[in-house]
Amino acid sequence: MKSYVYLILSVIALTGCSPSATIPTSFTETSDSLAIYPDYRDVTIPPNIAPLNFMVTDAAATEYVVTVGDLVCGAGKDGKIDMDSVAWREVLTDAKGKSLSVNVYAHRASGWVHYSPFTLDVAEEEIDPYLSYRLIEPGYELYRQLGIYQRNLTNFTEEPIYENNRTFSNEDNHCINCHNYQAYDTDRMLFHVRAGHGGTIIVHGKEARKIGIKHDSILTSGVYPSWHPTMPLVAFSTNKTGQVFHMYHPEKIEVLDEASDLLLYDAEKNTVRHIFHTKDNMETFPCWAPDGSRLFYCCAKMPASLLGEHTPMDLALRYDSLLYDIYSMPFDAETCTFGEPRLEVDASGIGRSTSVPRVSPDGRYLLYTLGDYGQFHIWHKSSDLYVKALESAPLSGDSEVRPMTGTQEEGIRPLTAANSPDADSYHTWSSNGRWILFVSRRLDHNYSRVFISYFDREGRDHKAFLLPQRDPEYNTLLLKSYNVPELTKRAVQVNIETLKHVIYHTDPDPATYQP
Amino acid sequence: MMRWLFTSLFFLLVWLWASWWMGDVMRIAYERSFIAADATLMHWLWQKSFGWLWILGRALLTLYRWPIVGGLFVAVMLTAGSWLIGVCLRLPQRWRWVRYLPSVCWMLWTAKEGLNLFYMNEPGRVLGVPFLVLVVLAMLAGIVGRLYQGGSAHRSGIENKQCSTSKVFTPSMIGRVGGESLLIFLCFSIPAFYLNYRHPYLRPLTKMQVQLLNDDYEGMSRTAHEHASIGCRQMAGYYAVALSRTGHLADQLFDIKLEFDSLHTYGFQGEPNECLNYHVIDCNFFAGLIRAARHYVVEDLTMSGPSLYNLKYMVKISLIEGDWALARKYLHVVRQAPFEGDFIEKYEPMVGHFDRVQADPELAAVIKVLPSYHTLEQMHVKPGFLGYYVDLKEFKTREALEWSTVACLYAKRMPSFLQRCRGYVGSMPPSSIAEGLLIKAYAEPSILQAFPQLELGISRYELFMQDAKPYLDDRERGGEVLFEKYKGYYPYYYLFGNMRSTRKPNDGEQEHNKAGVN
Repeated sequence: MKSYVYLILSVIALTGCSPSATIPTSFTETSDSLAIYPDYRDVTIPPNIAPLNFMVTDAAATEYVVTVGDLVCGAGKDGKIDMDSVAWREVLTDAKGKSLSVNVYAHRASGWVHYSPFTLDVAEEEIDPYLSYRLIEPGYELYRQLGIYQRNLTNFTEEPIYENNRTFSNEDNHCINCHNYQAYDTDRMLFHVRAGHGGTIIVHGKEARKIGIKHDSILTSGVYPSWHPTMPLVAFSTNKTGQVFHMYHPEKIEVLDEASDLLLYDAEKNTVRHIFHTKDNMETFPCWAPDGSRLFYCCAKMPASLLGEHTPMDLALRYDSLLYDIYSMPFDAETCTFGEPRLEVDASGIGRSTSVPRVSPDGRYLLYTLGDYGQFHIWHKSSDLYVKALESAPLSGDSEVRPMTGTQEEGIRPLTAANSPDADSYHTWSSNGRWILFVSRRLDHNYSRVFISYFDREGRDHKAFLLPQRDPEYNTLLLKSYNVPELTKRAVQVNIETLKHVIYHTDPDPATYQP
Repeated sequence: MMRWLFTSLFFLLVWLWASWWMGDVMRIAYERSFIAADATLMHWLWQKSFGWLWILGRALLTLYRWPIVGGLFVAVMLTAGSWLIGVCLRLPQRWRWVRYLPSVCWMLWTAKEGLNLFYMNEPGRVLGVPFLVLVVLAMLAGIVGRLYQGGSAHRSGIENKQCSTSKVFTPSMIGRVGGESLLIFLCFSIPAFYLNYRHPYLRPLTKMQVQLLNDDYEGMSRTAHEHASIGCRQMAGYYAVALSRTGHLADQLFDIKLEFDSLHTYGFQGEPNECLNYHVIDCNFFAGLIRAARHYVVEDLTMSGPSLYNLKYMVKISLIEGDWALARKYLHVVRQAPFEGDFIEKYEPMVGHFDRVQADPELAAVIKVLPSYHTLEQMHVKPGFLGYYVDLKEFKTREALEWSTVACLYAKRMPSFLQRCRGYVGSMPPSSIAEGLLIKAYAEPSILQAFPQLELGISRYELFMQDAKPYLDDRERGGEVLFEKYKGYYPYYYLFGNMRSTRKPNDGEQEHNKAGVN
């Protein structure tokens, strides 16, 4: 029944687009600046992306006509342009590697006016068709209904991979987080279940099982994961995390670790061991290099004043003294051992802090976020995306490494075109390395939304654009944030019923700890 | 004719109940609800079990934007329901009163629920369920009507006969009319009595909330005074908000009882709770602790979904913080709800204009008491009254100092209170603060040196202590006996008011720590 209602609502929504849109034959040029939402002006887009529906605002206009190449679409007074998907696809296919001109006409009492056109550059390279993310209220301590969803980027279909209980229940309430895939494929994935029915869900094809990564020697359980690209191994951080709330400060919330280590989990043997088990250093956010030969991670040294006995509040009061650098270390797949760590990004040296290292699929670039302090940068306005050109030989071999001139260090620079004054954080590469997806709070400073930026072969970032939605107002009315955007080449295979069964009706299989 | 007389009487009494007796309660239920035609906004509710019914109930609840209209709808619904029950059951004359029972049950249920009608519970239930019942009854009545169509001529003949004879008022008929009228009257007085017995605070509390919505701070104070002996923590909070706006926070707060007996509320899964967060958003907001208010608003938004209450606070907080983009977003969401044009009209022009925010009396009063230094929420005791003001130590305005000093008095935290009193040296402190100082002046004579004017109050204090002495081992009784004589006098509150040991807990609620104060 609900499907029918959505269908009816969709039909009602579609009526916003005038069916009889024709390009006005007579109009006057206007020098007024064009107000559209989302801002899709002069962006570079993948040739397989869903229609970039947008909304035009012109207080004096009663209807609109928009042309994108050969595609003509109209809108009523609400200004919502809902483009025909088939026509859009044809236009984009023809425009691969070229530019499209977008013309907007508005009908005012005095007649039709034409705004200065803007362009859409259509890249040659496609984006992976599936994007998964978690939708959750940007809350403080509590959570209620949330889920991990999968969006088909070539259209507007969004399906739940898993949703928690819809009806409040002390026994069944649970949180889900940290979904992760192996090498952009959905054959192996995982996510965590917290509170009721807790454990880590390991998915292999259409099968799923629940494991428990707990041991006296392990701080908490597995937290931030990274699948090894080829082996059945997962590097986890294990974090003792807390939160504090500002009463009078430009930032609102601080999420900080009291302690953290790194773990290596073998999904076939169900064994776990420490990679790092240190008291003075806090290691987190592991990330494998695309060939699995190195493991990147963030690490902060505990401030000297907190090395002895201290309370969580002592640490909380020093929340801005935790500065994370990025390290990497070689991994020997034969012996499953790690070599000596190497400092990759010395952020603490300049009084700043890194988070979420991600290596491009061709191995040439290290993408991360840089903020003033800490590691949970989605709550930090200072957080921006940075890239570092890595010294290793490019895996794709199609162009040489060009060290970039940076503000702090040779070969490091911010993604100036993609960044915003607000928090720009959790990011991922497309499997071809040409697209960067990340979440940003730039629209309203509170709700994180997915943005897409083209990263060209010369290592330049381009203006980021908002993940398109059928209704351009969707992001204004949605009261949830997007978390952890992850791209995959195909849809998740395991079905929601299997996941529900495993989560609700099986106990976690405890991983064997190997000292 | 008699049938219509009873029906009209029933209709009028339901209207009275639903618009006057329960009007403020339902008005606040409306504020704690939200409905919009947008699928994105309603998705969270739609996906719940019976989501469609709750949406329907919320749509009907919007009529309580004006309680008299909402009450009228309830009267029509319950009267029609009673009539349909009569049709379905084909009740004989002497059993006709049975048709009123479901409506009375509904009224008793609303009286039993109290704040649970909307707090941590789905507000769409209160009208959604009876409306669904009405629809089912209408369908059943249609079926019954068809089934008995054959006998209708015979029946209408009987009824016509009854109608014709009913014009003659025989003694037995007068008795029957009186009996049925009395029965209908009882239908309303029992739920009303039950409501006042179970939730004596409910009507004054919600009335104060409605007055707050209308910026009627004098009215809030009046309501609190009219129900001074009821008092509860939530009323104390709203009363303090009103006094702060009328300039009487430090001399009238203790005029009402400030107990914290159970409000008989329960949580999302039916477990008894203390209703602790009911008023905390309002209190934190008006105390200038807008970040703490924001914290609880966001938690409410997460747990209960969007409501006019939490969305409007997000608008106001965003405006005070100068977060125009966020204010614009929440205004746009509120705009999706029907009948909220006034709110949009008032606050939308403030977006991007901080001078207009400062020109608004309510927001300006909040800005005046914003914190003056950085602190973390976790460093403070969780608020039960005026936000976190018992712990804050630096104040940039006299108003903020007063909030904090009074909060310490309320919490009976005398060392903290004395620290704040330094700000009053050289001036005549407000009466409650002076009375608080007097308690400590006996042990610390230096206080009298700093505040020589306190000596004027010594004789009254000594008289109070004489009166209080017999009850020091029975505080509960002392509180009752001495309230009328000493209400508003801080030493009375200090010794007999707001004590855990005299608190009446909820059924099934965990036993409280009997030590200490609130």
